[in-house]
Amino acid sequence: MREDDIIICRCEDVTLGTIRELIRQGYTTLEEIKRIARCGMGPCQGKTCTPLIAREIAAITGKGIHEIMKQNHRPPFGGVTFEEIVSGRDEE
Amino acid sequence: MIHEYDTAIVGGGPAGICAALAAGKNGLKTLLIEERTFLGGQLIKQTHRFFGSEEEHAGTRGIHIANDLKSELEGMSNIDVMTSTTALGYYEDGILTALHDEKMIKIKPKSLVLATGAFERFLPFENNDLPGIFGAGAVQTLMNIYGIKPADKVLMVGSGNIGLIVSYQLIQAGVQVIGVVEAASKIGGYLVHASKLRRLGVPIMTRHTIKKAIGTDKVEGALLCELDKNWQEIEGTQKQMSCDAICLAVGLTPLADILSQMGCETTFIGELGGIVPKRTADLETTKAGVFVAGDLAGIEEASAAMLEGELAGLNAVKFVTGDERVTERIHHLKEELHGLRAGPVGEKIRYGLAQLFEDSVITSKKIESHEHDITRLAHTGIPSQENIDEKLPDEKRMIKPYAVIECFQEIPCNPCVISCPFGAIYIPKEDINQSPIVDFDKCTGCTSCISGCPGLAIFVEQRNPEQRKGTVSIPFELLNRPQKGDVVELLARDGQPIGTGVVKRILYGQKQDKTAVITVETDIDLVNKVRNIQLQRTGKKEVM
Amino acid sequence: MKSKADIVIIGGGIIGCAVAFNLAKKGMRNIVVLEKGFLASGATGRCGAGVRQQWGTLQNCLLAKESMTILENISDYLEEKVDIELKQRGYLLLSFSEKETEQFSKNLQVQHSLNIPSRALTAEEAGEIVPILNTEKVHSAAFCPTDGHANPFLTTEAYAKAAEKRGVEICTFTQAKAIKTENGKVKGVQTDKGYIETGRILNAAGGWAYEIGEMVGLKLPVFSERHEILVTEKVPPMLDPMVMSFSYNIYCQQTPNGSFVMGHGPKNEKPGHNVNSTWQFLEAMAQKVTYLLPDIKKVRVVRQWAGSYNISPDRQPIICESEQLPGYYMAIGFSGHGFMLGPSIGVYLSELITGETPSYDVTLDLGRFARNESIAEPSVV
Repeated sequence: MREDDIIICRCEDVTLGTIRELIRQGYTTLEEIKRIARCGMGPCQGKTCTPLIAREIAAITGKGIHEIMKQNHRPPFGGVTFEEIVSGRDEE
Repeated sequence: MIHEYDTAIVGGGPAGICAALAAGKNGLKTLLIEERTFLGGQLIKQTHRFFGSEEEHAGTRGIHIANDLKSELEGMSNIDVMTSTTALGYYEDGILTALHDEKMIKIKPKSLVLATGAFERFLPFENNDLPGIFGAGAVQTLMNIYGIKPADKVLMVGSGNIGLIVSYQLIQAGVQVIGVVEAASKIGGYLVHASKLRRLGVPIMTRHTIKKAIGTDKVEGALLCELDKNWQEIEGTQKQMSCDAICLAVGLTPLADILSQMGCETTFIGELGGIVPKRTADLETTKAGVFVAGDLAGIEEASAAMLEGELAGLNAVKFVTGDERVTERIHHLKEELHGLRAGPVGEKIRYGLAQLFEDSVITSKKIESHEHDITRLAHTGIPSQENIDEKLPDEKRMIKPYAVIECFQEIPCNPCVISCPFGAIYIPKEDINQSPIVDFDKCTGCTSCISGCPGLAIFVEQRNPEQRKGTVSIPFELLNRPQKGDVVELLARDGQPIGTGVVKRILYGQKQDKTAVITVETDIDLVNKVRNIQLQRTGKKEVM
Repeated sequence: MKSKADIVIIGGGIIGCAVAFNLAKKGMRNIVVLEKGFLASGATGRCGAGVRQQWGTLQNCLLAKESMTILENISDYLEEKVDIELKQRGYLLLSFSEKETEQFSKNLQVQHSLNIPSRALTAEEAGEIVPILNTEKVHSAAFCPTDGHANPFLTTEAYAKAAEKRGVEICTFTQAKAIKTENGKVKGVQTDKGYIETGRILNAAGGWAYEIGEMVGLKLPVFSERHEILVTEKVPPMLDPMVMSFSYNIYCQQTPNGSFVMGHGPKNEKPGHNVNSTWQFLEAMAQKVTYLLPDIKKVRVVRQWAGSYNISPDRQPIICESEQLPGYYMAIGFSGHGFMLGPSIGVYLSELITGETPSYDVTLDLGRFARNESIAEPSVV
């Protein structure tokens, strides 16, 4: 097994090789890599992969981690079903 | 329906509970929400005793602290506790949504304390998605909360406090720990934790890292290698070890997702664990009325979390009511936090916090180190003979029992002082980082301190030069205790067998609080070398 | 970054990238696209990305049909093998009243005149196409099997890469700050990374179209309105077509990876650039979708966000060269159907810019309002 085959995003099965290739192609933000490779769209919403991807971006581009780690997080954290939303709406 | 509160606390771990208590005791209508079915956060997994000072429950096991805090909460009618409730989001109109009782409920708090804690980091290496690779915290949860044995043979990656403590707890649960791997040249956590592991026979491999997990459907082993000064692999040093689980204890990162929806500014500070909220010394974020506490504010440990929780809670009180009466206590808490962070092990935190706010007390409070040379200890977990000799009394005194406190690293901790009924142990009150000193005139060798020390770093020796014999009393926290009269194997500080001895006494009562004190008699030359015992059976440690 | 260009396109969404590609294909050199974030970070990347041909006006049907044809053959079109996650399992439009059904009939006639394969359905037939549909109050439906949706980000990327291959310079994280004019002509664009001399500018700035108009003193009759949207966890396939209703005010589709994307047309949104989310939206959507598609009630919403509809007076895009400022082109006011018209607008607008005879007979210029020639589209969400 080569280093490039290491899985970085376990939710969506994205390898280190894919991520490095995307960065080299010019996608040097977490938001872009997310949209193309789906890293960060899975159940853990990027908790596992984001720091590792940020490290790769920093290593390849020389950008500071501060700059890279700016990301949007949106609700609902953890997920909520439509049924649960309706029950809450109807709460007396 | 909108649930209105003076303050809502998100997260029911040590920081959150303390924040709720502070707010509730000062009259705020308080809501505490916690996503698990139980309160306590990381506290209830901490079966070991806490460091710090008395005010931070030092010497008490984490699980007991959690119970004490929980009982306090129950008594308060103006604090609503919602467990099994996950905070979902925060919106521009000041509404916090949460999933409670299968409903998305809406909460409108006048102030907020976020104490959501942290999550475990992940390490990339080949085959890192094999079943059997866990976060160390996750393994601790499996074992200590759900009573599930996670594996038979574990390799621990990371020698910070979590790595060291969880390794120890694994052994207590009957799991073999084949080694602790650490990429740096020094051990990351408290060295007393490392010493505990070494005398249990666990190797700590500094300057090593894991290259690959071996196995097809699950972990069957690990491939390690040595690293040079530049963290690069040294050729020809690869070695394979067999195990069925690999635990990653490679650091924590604050669980800061909820902050960005709230408009609270964050910044990246490596020393504090990654993305942290920007906040004042009063733990207020850039959004007025929103406070943070605990690991979310910066990775530290439980004592700091509890202090910060109370600090945040009181500042929320001040924000909502304008009540100035809490100011004195707020000041006191800040002093306590400074004290915790003032010693050598607090350097990283101090450096991280200095990037967040100006606080002259932080920068000026750095205390002068009185540490002796502990290089060997820091690299191996085993002190040098010089370190040890400094802790011994004159030869003449050794005829009567005496306590040997093998605590060399300056960490904020002083339960030993309190545990001694004769006042024979001394640590200056202004600097509890300093190494304890024993007054051998007052010490009777009663062994109270052995069960009081959170680091299990105290031993009582006694030497009888005429008979060429002596006794040594050690702390023992494994399930299969010997019986009085048993002949046992004696192990040295590195876990190697060095002889045999006879068990003369076992103390295991309420006072020992599950840290048995076992006294063995052996040759006088071995007394200062023996630090652990092993039952002479088939060699397999049996656990109930 | 080039300091001189034949045209500077402000906006790196579907419109900007599609026009850039088409201009390059026609042989234009020195094209620069400016995008202040990453490509499609504005309206394009936030939209539901449905593509329907079931419109009420002839020109919308025409433009949508042409777009769909391009998307169906996108790899050949761009001369590049790309996957834009195009799902063509149809749009099911639901009518809840006699009046609405009448409108549908009219629309169908217009669609059929262009050979769009749509058809009218009874409520029962609608229930056969979408077994999980609650047909209780459905009066009738309309269905076009070749309607569908695609991935807006991948589509924009595909156009952008193909454009770059033909020499277009795409500058992301580069913001247009000011536009220089002289003697009633466009002279250049000042960006935060330098100045570009050019005689032609295309305002394809999506939600920021008005501001880019202000830079040259034009008060363009568009405003931005927040539309919220949500996505769920992935589940096994449950829903084939996009389900949409104008009167019940909802659109809902299941993407190829299994998650649902849905939204509605909000009431009482103030014009502005706020793209934050609300809990009221979650409650409104949950109410509607659990009524219409009851089986979805246990699916988890995992994320919500919002984007801007850039709204024009008749909810049709404004595509023309400015009469007051020659050289200043605009493609704005797409009012929620920019993505689906993007491919054909890329063709139309590139013809406009190079002075060729347009392929489509449509009235989309700004002057139509003064001439009272605006074409009201009856069927919008």
